[in-house]
Amino acid sequence: MKSKGLRVAALTLTVLVMGFLGIVGHALAQETIKFGAIYDFAGGCHMYSESAITGIQMAVDEINAAGGILGKKLEYVKRDTEAKTDVAVREVKDLILREKVNFLLGPCSSGTGLAMQVVHSENKVIRIAGLANTEGQTVDKFTPYIFQIVPNTYMEATANTRYLHKKFPKAKKFCTIGPDYEFGRREETAFVDEIKKLVPDAEIVYEAWPKLGEKDFTSFITAIMAKKPDAVHGSLFGGDLVSFTKQALPYGFFQKIPFIALYDLPVLVALGNDAPEGTLGFGRGCFFMDPNPKMMAFVEKYKKANKGAYPDSWAVMAYESLYLYKAAAEKAKTIETEAVIKAMEGTTIDMLRGAYTIRPLDHMGTVPCYQGTIAKVPEYPFKIWKDLTRVPGDQVIRPEASVREIWKKTGVQR
Amino acid sequence: MSFDVLFNQFMSGIARGALLFLVASGLSLTFGVLRVLNFAHGSLYMLGAFLSYSVWTFLLIPTFGFYIAAVLVALIMGVVGLIIEFGLLRRLYARGWPEQLLATYAIILIITDLVKWAWGGAFLSIPRPEPFTGAVMLFDFPFPSYNFFIILLGAGLVIFLWWLVYRTRLGDIIRAAAHDREMVSALGIPIPWLFTSVFVLGAAIAGLSGAVTAPFGSVALGMDIEIIIECFAVVVIGGMGSLPGTLLGSFIVGQVYAFGIMFLPNLALAFIFLVMAVVLIIRPWGIFGTPER
Amino acid sequence: MEANRKQENEGWAKRKWWIIVLILLSLAAPAFLSEFYLTVLCEALVMAMLALSFNLLFGYMGQMSFGQAAFYGLGGYAVAMLMVKWQFNFWLSIVAGVGLAAFAGLIVGYFCVRLRGIYFAVLTLAFGQLIWTIVFKWHDVTGGDDGIQGVFPPDFLKSPIAYYYLILVVFLASSWVIWKIIHSPFGHTIKAMRENSERTEFLGINIARYQLITFVIAAALAGLAGAVWVPFYRSVAPSYLTWIKSGEPVMAAILGGPSVFLGPVLGTFVMTFFHAWVLGFTVYWPVVMGALILFIIFFLPGGILGFAIDTFKERKERENT
Repeated sequence: MKSKGLRVAALTLTVLVMGFLGIVGHALAQETIKFGAIYDFAGGCHMYSESAITGIQMAVDEINAAGGILGKKLEYVKRDTEAKTDVAVREVKDLILREKVNFLLGPCSSGTGLAMQVVHSENKVIRIAGLANTEGQTVDKFTPYIFQIVPNTYMEATANTRYLHKKFPKAKKFCTIGPDYEFGRREETAFVDEIKKLVPDAEIVYEAWPKLGEKDFTSFITAIMAKKPDAVHGSLFGGDLVSFTKQALPYGFFQKIPFIALYDLPVLVALGNDAPEGTLGFGRGCFFMDPNPKMMAFVEKYKKANKGAYPDSWAVMAYESLYLYKAAAEKAKTIETEAVIKAMEGTTIDMLRGAYTIRPLDHMGTVPCYQGTIAKVPEYPFKIWKDLTRVPGDQVIRPEASVREIWKKTGVQR
Repeated sequence: MSFDVLFNQFMSGIARGALLFLVASGLSLTFGVLRVLNFAHGSLYMLGAFLSYSVWTFLLIPTFGFYIAAVLVALIMGVVGLIIEFGLLRRLYARGWPEQLLATYAIILIITDLVKWAWGGAFLSIPRPEPFTGAVMLFDFPFPSYNFFIILLGAGLVIFLWWLVYRTRLGDIIRAAAHDREMVSALGIPIPWLFTSVFVLGAAIAGLSGAVTAPFGSVALGMDIEIIIECFAVVVIGGMGSLPGTLLGSFIVGQVYAFGIMFLPNLALAFIFLVMAVVLIIRPWGIFGTPER
Repeated sequence: MEANRKQENEGWAKRKWWIIVLILLSLAAPAFLSEFYLTVLCEALVMAMLALSFNLLFGYMGQMSFGQAAFYGLGGYAVAMLMVKWQFNFWLSIVAGVGLAAFAGLIVGYFCVRLRGIYFAVLTLAFGQLIWTIVFKWHDVTGGDDGIQGVFPPDFLKSPIAYYYLILVVFLASSWVIWKIIHSPFGHTIKAMRENSERTEFLGINIARYQLITFVIAAALAGLAGAVWVPFYRSVAPSYLTWIKSGEPVMAAILGGPSVFLGPVLGTFVMTFFHAWVLGFTVYWPVVMGALILFIIFFLPGGILGFAIDTFKERKERENT
């Protein structure tokens, strides 16, 4: 008798508490805009993912301090894909189904990006890509739920090829070195296409395809040098580029051969004095690539919030992606997905990297591509670039006709 | 294909083989005596690489700083090996090899996260130490002197291990235990102490090779998985538990990679696995290995 | 003999009532599980199939395969390529996936079954990596490291609840088939070979042939798991085939108990739900998994079920004496 009464009381209490929490929770939910920051905290991607989070945190703090978006505060849930596509899909599903996020940011790896794109598109949640930059996201496997503000492989390679040619107009014999996976392949393919347009009798005498994460480039270096090319185009990045540079230095590689690769902030910091001056670099927008007043103000704020660290391209782009969303949501006057999509198409923002617009056709931003020459300067403890070039995205974005041609092959209806 | 180019490629293969030998020798030694294939050997190597960066940046002694750091790292990793063997593996010798294998797999997971937590996943780099910063000319082609250093170190390790295994009492015991563990124990030699010594030595060598790799390239997450596969290839081809076999295996893998890159760049990676599979099919215990009982 | 078997069948329902309860619960699952946890349950069921395939070789045949993920991935890739590139029928694609995995198992197994112990394990690893390398590099056919996306099941299976039932049915059916195989004369021979291979050889049994057949069955089961999984997550990628992925069923089987049929299933469930839960609040999953493995090895030898059953038997013996 007594126990039965107790059980009923407990049950009633539980229901009441749950109901209360439900109401309160629901009310709280209405006060915030929640997004998912899903990145790959494993292997080579770990560092870039951490960097993106710092950019996100800065934007969230700033936006919330200024009153949020449409009166609502921003909050985010951080998730790890472990750089595995099945984990990525599950975590994206969790963010959408359980955490009920309004939009997504991330990831780092193109593989996980493409895998999650199918799922978040099916569930009608948008994602702003500010890190993984395969063209697959906006061209081959386009869905209306993706927006990209990192220059894709086509744009980036086209721009840096033109810079290489401008610096070394007489070069005719080329070698390429790219990591043997989609990113490397796409960049080098775009390079070959563009250089053949600029130099009709250009010849690719050797293609080096080290595996991603290669630690010993010696054989590639000697193979390239044996061919005596006029210039080498590279899409190595991160730890691989650091290894390659250190191993190529004693061969006098950089004195003998013009070379361009992703010499951005983390690589230059890691290399320190080993960074080869006079060698060319390309990148997506870290602070020294575009030292305009807004960027430099951002640098000061970033340094204060991040123990004196300087913002790299990934922090910059993650920061801007939130302002893009803010602009679109405020234009649409709602956070309802379809309205935000319509508003984001054609939106222009003008922030750290200058002004660019989201092209309505494929949701690709006309984001700038940067190139420069590595040089030592007294202001910073690491080498940076001088002789900077900022190529506005609309000069190198894939023309609409070309996009539609690919869409015919891959079956995208738009 | 001129001679000097081919010779240079051959020498890069030697350097790569030397680096592989540095890492794989510890794995082979451990397997030969303990009969445990330590999956976590690559993790010890990676931990050694990261530690060497920290020790070197802490010491900041010009020129000699790197060498001191390398020795310190070897000692530290020896202690780590002691902790692992004493605290973990020792309790599993009575169990079957599956549990031992799984324990080493668990160690990979733990060390990976430890490294991620302690060093944050950034890629790090140490400049090459004096006097190995430049290059020497080999038949009109420059060859980085640091690669020579690695080759010398590899040769030094070969001599040291040969001396240890064939000229010391410990070596006699090691060779006897590799053949017949029970006999050795019956002769009154404490097997547990032997196992610990060998494992600690293997871990110290792994740490040292990690330290030596840091100036060679970069130090980054994922080094452990990458190197352990190549080490497996080396010990499978050469013979698990045989040091001459490991030397030969390292040489073969180094050359296959160096010339594969030149002539069949797309297939160099697959080639290693193919050779590994072929050896396992034709002669499972490797070129210099002995058949299991 | 006959009488014993009859008794067994009659007592079955009484002794294994918990199986019936579990089946009923799983049929009712969508009613009380949120969509997210239903997704996790689907993952657990599919990975349990993979773990069962591993344990067919490990628990029953006594050999450790570090390459099951390769067959799992091949099954998945077959389905993805057939459905996306040639608009193949969903059901036929799954059959093709199983077929491809079994065929690969035949080739790989032919070489592997001539080896034992660590050599068997390393050869399966080498072959697994070889298959991974082919899939990774042949980007014209397999999409390279991007993988293949856009694999959609037929409309009536698009909802997670519908697909869950499909996975459940496939899981139950395949588990039952494996159970029957293990308890058949063929299965008894396999177990005898594990205990004493010399004696079975003297009895005239061709060890290699029996082990090869088992290997192919295990590969087919792994392929079925992959084939059924890919349309659920709408994509496949080379990371499905690595030896790291192959390590998951190994851990699950050891965790749950390789000596018990349902051990790998329990181990998978524990691992999967634990993984999903832990990833919700930290990125440091590997160290948790590593600690879990060590805990099981030291404190629950024989895995959760193995340990439980041994303890139960010991207690019963003590009661009887």
